[in-house]
Amino acid sequence: MKGLWDAPSIRVTLTGWYAAVLTVMMIVYATATFVAVRHEFLEQLDDQLHDDFEAAEERLTGTPDGRVAWNGDRHHDPDSDDTRVYEVWSANGEQLLRSGAAVTLPPVAFASLGTSDRYETVVAGGERWRAVAAPTSIGGHAVVLRVSRSEERLRTQLWEILVVLALGLPLVVVLAGIGGYLLARRALAPIDQLASAARRITAERLHERLSVPNPNDEIGRLTSVINDTFGGLESSFDQLRRFTADASHELRTPLSVVRSLGEAAVAERRNAVDYEEAIGSMLEEVDRMTNLIDTLLRLSRGDAGTIRLSREQLDLGQLAREAASSLGILAEERNQRLTFDITDGVMVSVDRLVLREAIVNILDNAIKYGPTGSTVAIHVGSSHQQALLAIRDEGPGIPAEHRERIFHRFFRVDEARSRDHGGAGLGLAIAKWAVDIHGGEIRVEQTSTGGSEFRILLPLDVSVPTEFKAAFAERGRTGATASKL
Amino acid sequence: MFLTFASGKETRASDLDNMHHVRILIVEDERKLAQVLASALQAEHYEVVIERTGENGFFRANAETFDLVVLDLMLPGRGGLEILDTLRKRQVHTPVLILTARDSVEDRVLGLDLGADDYLVKPFALPELLARIRALLRRGRPTDSLRLKASDLEVDLVARRATRNGHPIDLTVREFELLEYLLRHQGHVVSREMLAHDVWKEPRRATPIDNVIDVQMARLRKKVDVEGHERLIHTVRGVGFVLRQGEP
Repeated sequence: MKGLWDAPSIRVTLTGWYAAVLTVMMIVYATATFVAVRHEFLEQLDDQLHDDFEAAEERLTGTPDGRVAWNGDRHHDPDSDDTRVYEVWSANGEQLLRSGAAVTLPPVAFASLGTSDRYETVVAGGERWRAVAAPTSIGGHAVVLRVSRSEERLRTQLWEILVVLALGLPLVVVLAGIGGYLLARRALAPIDQLASAARRITAERLHERLSVPNPNDEIGRLTSVINDTFGGLESSFDQLRRFTADASHELRTPLSVVRSLGEAAVAERRNAVDYEEAIGSMLEEVDRMTNLIDTLLRLSRGDAGTIRLSREQLDLGQLAREAASSLGILAEERNQRLTFDITDGVMVSVDRLVLREAIVNILDNAIKYGPTGSTVAIHVGSSHQQALLAIRDEGPGIPAEHRERIFHRFFRVDEARSRDHGGAGLGLAIAKWAVDIHGGEIRVEQTSTGGSEFRILLPLDVSVPTEFKAAFAERGRTGATASKL
Repeated sequence: MFLTFASGKETRASDLDNMHHVRILIVEDERKLAQVLASALQAEHYEVVIERTGENGFFRANAETFDLVVLDLMLPGRGGLEILDTLRKRQVHTPVLILTARDSVEDRVLGLDLGADDYLVKPFALPELLARIRALLRRGRPTDSLRLKASDLEVDLVARRATRNGHPIDLTVREFELLEYLLRHQGHVVSREMLAHDVWKEPRRATPIDNVIDVQMARLRKKVDVEGHERLIHTVRGVGFVLRQGEP
């Protein structure tokens, strides 16, 4: 069983901290209170002593025999009061009067009278007494009067307060802890609900979303984030599912061709030429499958983010010319003209092979779909910190509803026609992928003449001018050669 | 066998074969593939030994003398890379061509680092394997001649001139390179992969490039195989192209 302390929940942790902080605060508070109360009590006692002292001065008179006695109405008899002691000494130390509780207090230190604090605490008969002693004059005689009060009552009261504080503190902490726990549970309950709701949303029910009661509080924001994550998951799941279905379809088609060809070939005796024909067809299909698998692998590696780009600073126009020159022969075959409107020095930091493939694919597309004798226009320029490569054909264009999906894997506007061209519907997907991983953007638009214009936007590279780079590269190369020799 | 990758003694003849019989060890666990490889290599008049486990392959390579080892990387027991490593550590320097289904750069680099001489990624084209094997066996021997010949077709590599029966053929740079490549592999089929890689210098084969190759080949053929001369450039359907004599 999982103990409470093995991996405490947020609730328990919160409560624990809350109780700890509260305990410390309560201890500080109780101590301060006790100290203040004690101080206040002692002050009160001293005030009372002061009053007693003054009252005694009033009520004591000298007797003719040179002693001292209480005078006047004796509504308050000091002799019956066992919490107080009154003592009077003459200037030469003779005790003139003693009344009050029957307790033997230590003698007065006459020498220090009037110099040290008049109030002091003394111990007598196992009790604490508070005493005030001072010289005064009674009936014209200089005497020393000491009034003492027992501290016992005060101590009892302080003790009671201490007991109340000591017993109350843990009680308060426990009660507050329970309250805190309940509060924490209440506050965290939506998270538990969220967790169990999120758990219900599995791969099969990815379209479901969590309800957001209040989008502005913390839980609401968390829920929105989780919902967004589910959204992303759902779309990649959908993509994956579609991709898997399409891929297996695309692989099955050549596979079934291979199979049928093989079966037909063995079914009847044929001459060598026929067999050669059949085997050749099979090999063509195998070739198609091999290409397809290579491309799919590359795309999936791109999806997994395991492709490392080896970027270099390149002139986009140069790259476009290069791609055009390698496909030029295809355009020639169709009597098409490739026209260039290229601004030189539009620098981009890209992986040459990856981006070149994108350009080649789009150019191939333009040549393939442009009619015989038409023009394919290649434009390279820059604007707003972006490099632009546009390839415009005079083909039939792409219907508006397909323009988004044209870059999807395996998407073909015209199923039969594209297959005859030998494409698996991955050329543009590869192009988009290649542009995307360079942080660029690719889209297709309709030209005024109804053809298509593919626009590749890439971040401009505005770092070191190429001349410098070229010089460095040259130097590096020379150095490498030299060291090899 | 209807597909022959070598068309006869006269085209296959190389100085190597005259010296001794070329022995090739194939270490490959996939029975069918091993057999196909063996028969294709035997058709080229190589002597072939097949081993189907890493252990046996290693002992064979260690104990006997071969001119070349074709080594699969994914083997039961001892892996191809391990065998290669051990062989090289024991100073066995037989050229090794590795076959791998894993085409990640790391694997290739590792293989080449451990002393492999070349690699091919499965599925590979048989003509390409044969071409690589020829290249490895030829290595270190100066075979580059300045003049290539087939029937009445002559190519002067220095003057960059091609003639047919003495009549000059007007070729573009690319067409000349293509013809030179076909002539160098005379009698052997070259695949589109090989052309894309070796002539077009494309690191990857892609559909557009295939189309370019086809168009270029058609043009070259139109210029080389003119009326009244023997047809030299042939398409081997599903495999590639071959330049050879003695075919209708």
